[in-house]
Amino acid sequence: MIIKKIFIIFIFISQLLLSNSYSVEPDEILQNPKQELRARNISKNIRCMVCQNQSIDESDAPLAKDLRILIRNQIKDGKNDQEIYKFLTNRYGDFILLKPTFKLNTLALWLLPLLFVVVGIFIIFLHNKKSKKI
Amino acid sequence: MKKQIFIVPFLFFILILLAFFYLLMTERNPSELPSNLLNKNVPKFEANSLIKNEKFISSEEFGNEIVLVNFFATWCKPCLEEHSYIKRFSSEKKIRIIGINYKDNKKATINWLNKLGNPYSDIPIDKDGRIAIEWGVYGIPETFLINSKGVIKYKHIGPVTEKIYKKINILVEKIE
Repeated sequence: MIIKKIFIIFIFISQLLLSNSYSVEPDEILQNPKQELRARNISKNIRCMVCQNQSIDESDAPLAKDLRILIRNQIKDGKNDQEIYKFLTNRYGDFILLKPTFKLNTLALWLLPLLFVVVGIFIIFLHNKKSKKI
Repeated sequence: MKKQIFIVPFLFFILILLAFFYLLMTERNPSELPSNLLNKNVPKFEANSLIKNEKFISSEEFGNEIVLVNFFATWCKPCLEEHSYIKRFSSEKKIRIIGINYKDNKKATINWLNKLGNPYSDIPIDKDGRIAIEWGVYGIPETFLINSKGVIKYKHIGPVTEKIYKKINILVEKIE
């Protein structure tokens, strides 16, 4: 029984660890660790356009690999993060960003949840006030 | 007054429901991938040509007439399927077609074109997929319709079928 429990815990932990799998290949990695870290951070926010909800950092797709190499080349060329994001969104649109930017046409996306929370709190507050009176 | 306040979230909910309903009813294709290059100038690039001894320089090739740009490779099966339609654009409609050869083998491509026929007026070579990224390509085959001012007017992802062939012809007539 105990062995079974240990086995289940082992499977659970190994799944947790394995869920963070990355697809960066050794020949892609930049020698400068700071630059490589920047490349990884950008890649984690870039959608693999041909996969199901994966970043290019996690994907084995050839297009994801091409984009990872392109990002690293641009970093080596001295481009800053904003310039790299702009390069990619100019070609693939905002859809390529896993975290949408805060702008006019994404306003509802960002602010509606907040509005729902505020309205919810307001209703709870009113309801409580009403039930206390009773 | 207080009771009326409780109606507010309900109305809000109805409003959101209507918005979703409207989006569902309007004619949209959820599987259509967005393209950011529509109505923009063709990307600038230079590449070696597969069939000519001179370099392909994009700024010299677009902006004079309607051009179709077709990303293709010999290893791509859907490219083989659409090849007859690409040939029809060239032979029946006399449209100039530029075929961008994506991550392919030079010899294999020449053999492939000799066997199936070459509808392309020029074939720039995209050895590492860098040109495809400039064009915002997801995966080949992809076909772009460029007007005589060098502006991208239409993009089709996937093989050209009878339906798409007709659609592109209608678009060509429209922008002519």
